[in-house]
Order: sequence, then C-alpha cells, then structure tokens
Amino acid sequence: MIDENELWILSFYRTSEISGALFFGTLARSMRPGPIQHDMTKHFSDEALHSWYWTSCINNLGAQPLKLGEAYQDQYIAAAGLPVNLMEVLAITQVFEKRVINQYARHSQAPDLSREVRETLAKIMIDERWHIEWIQKALKQMEKDYGEGLIEATLKHFWEADQEVYRKTMQEHEERVRHLFKPR
Amino acid sequence: MAESVTAEKVKAKMAGLLRQPIERLKDDALLTDLVSQSLLLVEMVIELQEEYSVRLVQDDLKDVKTVGDLTRLIEGKAA
Repeated sequence: MIDENELWILSFYRTSEISGALFFGTLARSMRPGPIQHDMTKHFSDEALHSWYWTSCINNLGAQPLKLGEAYQDQYIAAAGLPVNLMEVLAITQVFEKRVINQYARHSQAPDLSREVRETLAKIMIDERWHIEWIQKALKQMEKDYGEGLIEATLKHFWEADQEVYRKTMQEHEERVRHLFKPR
Repeated sequence: MAESVTAEKVKAKMAGLLRQPIERLKDDALLTDLVSQSLLLVEMVIELQEEYSVRLVQDDLKDVKTVGDLTRLIEGKAA
C-alpha cells in the first residue's frame, strides 16, 4: 500500500512526465528533419513512457494517480518566461532534466522504499541521463549559431529560475518530502 | 530575388499555424487570447523563425503582447 504523501509525490512525478511528453511531442512535430528532430522524438517517447511507468507503479501499489493541475514545468515558465527559440527550449530542458535526475536520485535514497518505486526510479534515471547527454551535445553544436556566451547566459538564467521554483516547491510541500525520508 | 516579408504575410502564416481565420488576427488582438496554451505559442514562434529565417531570443519578445507586435517584430528582423 501507499500513503497519502507518497501518492501525491508519485502523482506529481507522473504529471510532470506527461507535461514533458506533451511539450516535446509538440516541438518534435514542428522540427525540421535532422539529429535534433530524431533525439527530440525519442525524448518525447521516453517522457510518455515514464508517465506510464508512474501510472502503472501507483496502480501496482494499490492506488490511483491523483489528478494534479500544475506540473513543475509550468512553474518554470512562470518564473523564467517562455523559451522562444530552440536553443532556449533545450537550455530550459537541460536545467529541468538535471533537477529531475537529482530529485529521483534523492528519492531513491529514501528509507523503506518499496521495490516497485525503487525499480521505477532506476529505469527512468537511465533515460534521464541520456536526455542530459543529447541536449548537452545539441547545445554544443549550437554554439556556432548562438555563441557560447549567449548559451551560457541562457543556462544561467534558467538555472536561477530553477533554484527559485525548487525552493518554493520544497517550501510548499515540505511536509510531504520530510515524510518520504522518515523511517516507517 | 527572395520575396519580401511583410506583416500581412506573417499574419497569414500565423493564422495557418493557429488554425484560425485571419479575420480573428487583428493587430490589437492579444496573443494570449488567441493561444490558450503557452506551449502552442512557443511552437508558433519557433515555426515563424524557421519560416522566415530569423532568430529571436527571449528579450525580443518581452514587450510583445499583440498580433501586431509580433508581426512587426518578424517583419523587422527579416528586413
């Protein structure tokens, strides 16, 4: 079984993965053919699959996912503004993916984690590492078009927004996160 | 010779991307009224940049609120 706090957290992960899939699905649809279109389409399919993993994980723990309105990404847009070109889209995603993998790694360290959750986190983290890699490579290739300085400044801008959003999210859901790390 | 980019042409392209009749895209129409999801706005702006081979950054759009603001911006960048 799963308690209320853990159900909320897993549902939050699920909602964020769905938002990620919708975001990349929409962008992949409008990309010109090439390596970025290829990797972005794979990224989109990974995010969709992850949302299924979380749905299935929650179901296997005897619960139903909670319907949550806002995903973590929505708060990013509110804090950092809309990305308006592909480089900015990839920069915001890079920052977000790093946050996700850190959060999943942290969650993996929680005591008394069920096998179901541990395995789900482990298989998603493998894909997340690849997400960071392909975006890093793509941003490197974009240096000739956008300039290294602008890319670094953009990453910094989104990284600062990430710090703010993460701080607010942790503050808002402090109780739930603390509960996760409490021995049961 | 390449065809010139005009605000009207950009507007027609936007209407196609948004699947909206061009009459709805009045110069003073707010983009947020036409595009319900911010993601669709991102998609449209990226498509317009590809179509007209222009590059925009976040700063360029900070004062863009209406259809007219955006069409003029693209027209100006493409000139």
